[in-house]
Amino acid sequence: MRSRGGALAVAVVALFLGVLVVSQFRSREAYSRALQQETPESLTRLIADQSDRNRELRAEIFDLQLRLDRAQAAVAGGRGSLEEAQRQLAQLQVFSARSRVTGPGIAVRIDGPFDERALADLVNELRNAGAEAIAVNDARVGPRTWFGAGASGSLVVDGREVRGAWTVGAIGAPDVLYVAMTRTGGIVGQFELIYQRTRIQVTRETALDLPPVTSP
Amino acid sequence: MKQTRAFQKSLVLTLPALVFGFFVATQWATFAVPEARDVTIRYIDPLGETVTALQREQTDLRTQLADIRSRLDDLQRASGQQSGSAREIQAKVDDLKASAGLTELRGEGVSVTVDARAGSGSEVRPPCFAPDLTDIVNAAWRGGATAVAISGERFVASSSVYCVGGTIVVNGSIVSAPLTVAALGPPTAILAILDDPAQLRDLKRRRDQQTIDLRISRVPLLVVPAYRGAVVVRSAAPQ
Repeated sequence: MRSRGGALAVAVVALFLGVLVVSQFRSREAYSRALQQETPESLTRLIADQSDRNRELRAEIFDLQLRLDRAQAAVAGGRGSLEEAQRQLAQLQVFSARSRVTGPGIAVRIDGPFDERALADLVNELRNAGAEAIAVNDARVGPRTWFGAGASGSLVVDGREVRGAWTVGAIGAPDVLYVAMTRTGGIVGQFELIYQRTRIQVTRETALDLPPVTSP
Repeated sequence: MKQTRAFQKSLVLTLPALVFGFFVATQWATFAVPEARDVTIRYIDPLGETVTALQREQTDLRTQLADIRSRLDDLQRASGQQSGSAREIQAKVDDLKASAGLTELRGEGVSVTVDARAGSGSEVRPPCFAPDLTDIVNAAWRGGATAVAISGERFVASSSVYCVGGTIVVNGSIVSAPLTVAALGPPTAILAILDDPAQLRDLKRRRDQQTIDLRISRVPLLVVPAYRGAVVVRSAAPQ
């Protein structure tokens, strides 16, 4: 009786492992196949992007390790780790979009017909270029922000109607953001072709002041 | 004699025609060389291997980052018990972490899976699903989702989705098909938004044309992982 139960358990585990191995293999296979279908130009861009991302991760690991060492030394010296907690708090207040923030960046002014999908694409592009905080007029874009269409050509941000002309403010490295938006074939160029009656202007800003999110 | 002259005449026409035909055929063959013979093909394998190696390195770096974050958290928590103000700050940090997507969440929700349908031409090059994914994420937030992940990549305030060719990158990490959006939150409200004919129009049209597979289902227990990327705050300062 016991041996039958044991055999059954072994069979279940073996079945589970088999499924796991096959799904891992299939996923790897799909991944490799997808890369095989790319052009050398696409693969080169992926390499550049991944290298940037890994550099960013290494920088954060280095920074956190220093902070950890400093905090450990402070705790060992009886001073506690209040300084590190305050630093973490300031960083998270920005990252969660829960506090008002200031800093340099760019402003994208959109005057004319525009829609919510284009606005979502613009925000996606700004995030991809490294924007740390974004707002549409006075509506801050948070981690859970959604966009919709409002009445008579207006837009909705987190349920709030935001009327045009719209100014999308993005805090981050101004030159990087500016080039990412205005490069040939970039998102602003595409908008200008699609929304021909809309005037889109991108400017570098030395100091932007963005409000906190209003929705949770 | 007449026959010889007629033969010479036809030869005058036939020879250039043959040469011309040979020339056309050679040109055609040059144009019709399969992609596999293109000189650039030799670079695809090493470039693809480099991408895979960098992706593997990214996974390792993320593991290291998660480990340091966790050690720093443990230290903070231990020393947060020492004083009232430290405890207060720690509570705020924990709250902000949850709100920013730095903690794993579990609960009921909705799963949306998108993939190219076999035979739809996607074997040549997979379609770019990035705009569709941003549409799904937008609809999920609109439906009241509290956490969203795309194929295991938590969607946070710095998240972006883009395509390089047919490869999809989320949070700087390559994700492969089938793509799954996990939206944690009230399933009925999220499903109502996803079912709304005004939402996900492009995706639904392509599903109806049978070029893609789109599956939306209610899930009793979803696990949405914590964000594992870098938290970059260099230019913005809180007020």
